[in-house]
Amino acid sequence: MYAVAEVIDDLCVANKGCRLCIMYCPEANTIMFNKENRVAEVVEQRCKGCELCVVVCSSAKHNAITLVHR
Amino acid sequence: MGKEKIKINPEFYDIMPVEYQELVEEGTYGKEDRGWKDVGESKELIEEHSLCAGCPESIAFRYVLACLPAPEDTIMVGSTGCTSLVFPHVAVHNIHSLFGNQNAVASGLKRALSYRFPDKVKDVVVLAGDGATVDIGLDMTLQSWFRQEKFTTICFDNELYANTGGQSSGLMQKGFVAKMAPAGKKFDKVNLPEIAKVSGCHYVAKMTVSKPNRVEKAIRQAILIAREVGPTYIQLYTPCILEIGKQMMEGLQEMRDSEGPNKRFEFEEYISEEAKAYLETIDPKKKKKKAITA
Ligand SMILES: Cc1ncc(C[n+]2csc(CCOP(=O)(O)OP(=O)(O)O)c2C)c(N)n1
Ligand code: SF4
Ligand code: SF4
Ligand code: SF4
Repeated sequence: MYAVAEVIDDLCVANKGCRLCIMYCPEANTIMFNKENRVAEVVEQRCKGCELCVVVCSSAKHNAITLVHR
Repeated sequence: MGKEKIKINPEFYDIMPVEYQELVEEGTYGKEDRGWKDVGESKELIEEHSLCAGCPESIAFRYVLACLPAPEDTIMVGSTGCTSLVFPHVAVHNIHSLFGNQNAVASGLKRALSYRFPDKVKDVVVLAGDGATVDIGLDMTLQSWFRQEKFTTICFDNELYANTGGQSSGLMQKGFVAKMAPAGKKFDKVNLPEIAKVSGCHYVAKMTVSKPNRVEKAIRQAILIAREVGPTYIQLYTPCILEIGKQMMEGLQEMRDSEGPNKRFEFEEYISEEAKAYLETIDPKKKKKKAITA
């Protein structure tokens, strides 16, 4: 079992310009902006489960990312 | 030049790895105004690598690669250390040099490129850890600055030898205790930005990587100045969360805590008079103004 990040679409405000998780995720090409749904999207195979995205999203009070176990 | 060099022959398209196809379709080679804002909506020039989860060096790599003004005409020179675990997964030409030799290798490379491609701009960018830059490679680092070699040196300063388990480096803080430095660092953190200024660098900047727009501006200026004026140096704080006992998600906070007023990574920038004059000539806003007044 390992932990990966998951975006809760309904809470994500990427549509309003938020890019915090995309900008601070240490891994390249791992959180992408989904142009169709206009939300942030985690590419699970690349995620190392470091939780930094959760920290930046929740300190901005969006609480739109959690870690889930696979 | 853009993507000319990496275009896939249509006959072979379907057998190329998907990561390569993505680079060709969505990579930002040749994009005039490329920068950190491209991340998340384009293919970054960096693939999966083995740095620790949450490592700030990984964040710094993303910004540096997103901000190179011309990645298709850039050759990076790396050295041994955690950074060297990333270079094999970077989609920009790069050379791995023997530990400490990076600035000597870059000097030869830059000169060879200017003979081989006299009509083209080729950027050479060194990217190495603090052990490589300020201890074992200090001779090569300084000599390249004295000789006014036209390339940029970027130091990922994590204040110790991370890749070998936490020995002390010249850039470690005085008194700091690490796993392989149990007695504590005996002397002050070497002030390499100050040394860079008096050794002939035309642009020097020191910062953490907590603000990507600041990193972008520094990288662009350093590379443009190195093309025309002379050597440039950027020191980025990329804390080794593993060796300083931080959790995976604490790297960003560690950087923010270290960059406040009078802290050791408070933002500092130096631009020589010659470099300032050069930047004025290429500033699009100033150019426009001139055109209007003329
Ligand atoms: C010539 C040589 N000497 C020593 C080593 C062992 N060595 C490998 S990585 C490393 C430390 C690198 O430290 P630094 O440059 O600070 O980079 P970091 O790993 O901290 O990012 C050392 C001493 C080596 N590979 N080659
Ligand atoms: S930080 Fe949170 S709200 Fe902002 S884009 Fe990422 S998931 Fe969405
Ligand atoms: S957990 Fe870490 S690696 Fe995974 S998406 Fe979040 S910031 Fe990126
Ligand atoms: S050992 Fe330190 S510098 Fe190296 S990858 Fe891990 S956290 Fe990063």
